[in-house]
Amino acid sequence: MGCVCRLAGDAYKGEGLAFLISFDIDGTLEFGDPPGGITVEMVRRAQQLGFLIGSCSDRFPSAQRALWEAREIKVDFVAAKHMLPDIRSRFDATKYLHIGDRELDQQLAQQAGFEFFWDHEGVAEPWLAWLETHAD
Amino acid sequence: MAIPIAPHAWHRNREGLGIWEGRGRVVATGVGTSPTARRWDEKPDTSMGALTIMAIRRAIEDAGIMPDEIDGIVLTPESTTGVSNDPNAPAPAGWDSVFKSVDYPQAGITRGDIDWILLNMPELKNVEFRMNGPVCMSVAFTTAAEAVSRGLTKTCLVVRGWHNLGGRYYVGQGAAALDTASGPAKYGSIWGMPACASTAMVFEEYCNKYGKSHDMMAPFIVEERRNGLMNPDGYYTQHRPEMMTVDDYLSGRWIAKPANIYDNDLPIQAALAVVFTTPELAAHHKLKPVYILNHAQTRPELQGAVPTLNEWERATDRMGRMLYEGAGIGPEDVSFENMYDGFTLFHQFHLEGLRFGSRGEKRGYALDLYQTDISIDGPNPVSPSGGNNGNGRTRWWNHRDCILQIQGRSPSQIKRPAEIGISGAHVPNFCDALVWAASAD
Repeated sequence: MGCVCRLAGDAYKGEGLAFLISFDIDGTLEFGDPPGGITVEMVRRAQQLGFLIGSCSDRFPSAQRALWEAREIKVDFVAAKHMLPDIRSRFDATKYLHIGDRELDQQLAQQAGFEFFWDHEGVAEPWLAWLETHAD
Repeated sequence: MAIPIAPHAWHRNREGLGIWEGRGRVVATGVGTSPTARRWDEKPDTSMGALTIMAIRRAIEDAGIMPDEIDGIVLTPESTTGVSNDPNAPAPAGWDSVFKSVDYPQAGITRGDIDWILLNMPELKNVEFRMNGPVCMSVAFTTAAEAVSRGLTKTCLVVRGWHNLGGRYYVGQGAAALDTASGPAKYGSIWGMPACASTAMVFEEYCNKYGKSHDMMAPFIVEERRNGLMNPDGYYTQHRPEMMTVDDYLSGRWIAKPANIYDNDLPIQAALAVVFTTPELAAHHKLKPVYILNHAQTRPELQGAVPTLNEWERATDRMGRMLYEGAGIGPEDVSFENMYDGFTLFHQFHLEGLRFGSRGEKRGYALDLYQTDISIDGPNPVSPSGGNNGNGRTRWWNHRDCILQIQGRSPSQIKRPAEIGISGAHVPNFCDALVWAASAD
């Protein structure tokens, strides 16, 4: 995992690779309503590995922020779900990913140029494989 | 035997009827509210029926009376505007070990049923009067008011439960899962028009006519959420206590522009029961009686598949005139209004029909009023209950709060004296409304 950490560590500096993951909340994250399969631990692991993480949900932005703060996770962004293009313009990343449980998530992700995983696919943390793929 | 509904003549749906014959002869006392949930987890003890029983017991206890004093029930059997099970779908596993069942298998699950309630609440042993108030609890309230005023029941429960099944409301379920559309839905739903679309169109027409904008809704939306978050029984207080900001509201995704996602109310599970009785019997209830001065009804007189601004303004103007005529009061007598808000974009039609907070204006002033102090501390408390937007979809938070305000125990109690309040639901041209008061005079 040494290479992984180096890659991840460069994420914010514009020198290395940066991967951005946007999580839907309801139906996707374990604290959503309904609960999804992606755990806080998975999110925390992604962040520790250097991924840019945040949420794009139909929960209003200040509520999203409060939900993350309650779990002591300092996210890089929160936004309304349809603001994925804005998130893309704000962060310079190699890959952009949105994970959600509705066709609307898929539609908005594709329109914004994000890759998309369904919530049940996200449970396997497929983004971790990106690190290996891009490792030296 | 099928449960009857109120005869047509009971509904006060035209002008010129004069003072309501039952004015001041019916009061509300006890109120019982169940816990809320976003969706049903399919356990019997969290079902809509279980919540309904809980609400009834709380209302009776709240009134300080004994269950055997209840001699009537008026109930709204419909318990959703969204998805229901097939009427013949069997109850889930374990149901029969908790509840006794009636012939209708979905009773207590996706439909309210008086017989089911009585079967599962043996303490209600003296109920003789039974009537349904279909579609909306507003109809149950007006029906019960008439029943008590006509002497058909002396102490009557008014009841409505709401269910919300798992899955996405309206999305890929129920009618939306079918290959064809029938009935009135074939004119609108077939093109994928969401539920709020017709309201959005009329709101757009309103904004164009009066020079207003969707952004002007923000203070009302935020104030409603603030009021709702004061209510310990509300869904948001119990499950999503985050306060909404103006920026949050304005960032909302368009569902049917100019209606955004936060103009739509959130479906929930919950139940409410209220005790109606006569002023004489209320003397031994432990709570201050809230008098009903009048009730009135409008129904659509559409010339097309969707309503127009003119039709909604005409209907709500008529509602205002009917309510004031039958109650013997005027707009200046109203302390607060709790008209329906699900969808938020039609609340101003109700408000303007009542001329609430008007300084002589008749139409097109409500969004300007929203820019003033409409809080519970101000001179014109708008929707102090918080409505559906502040508490979750029930269509009854508004009625409930009128009773609590006048009893002086609302969690969002208005600062000015709560002497007379008005509540009604649901849409501007399909509405049943009541005038509630602190005294019969």
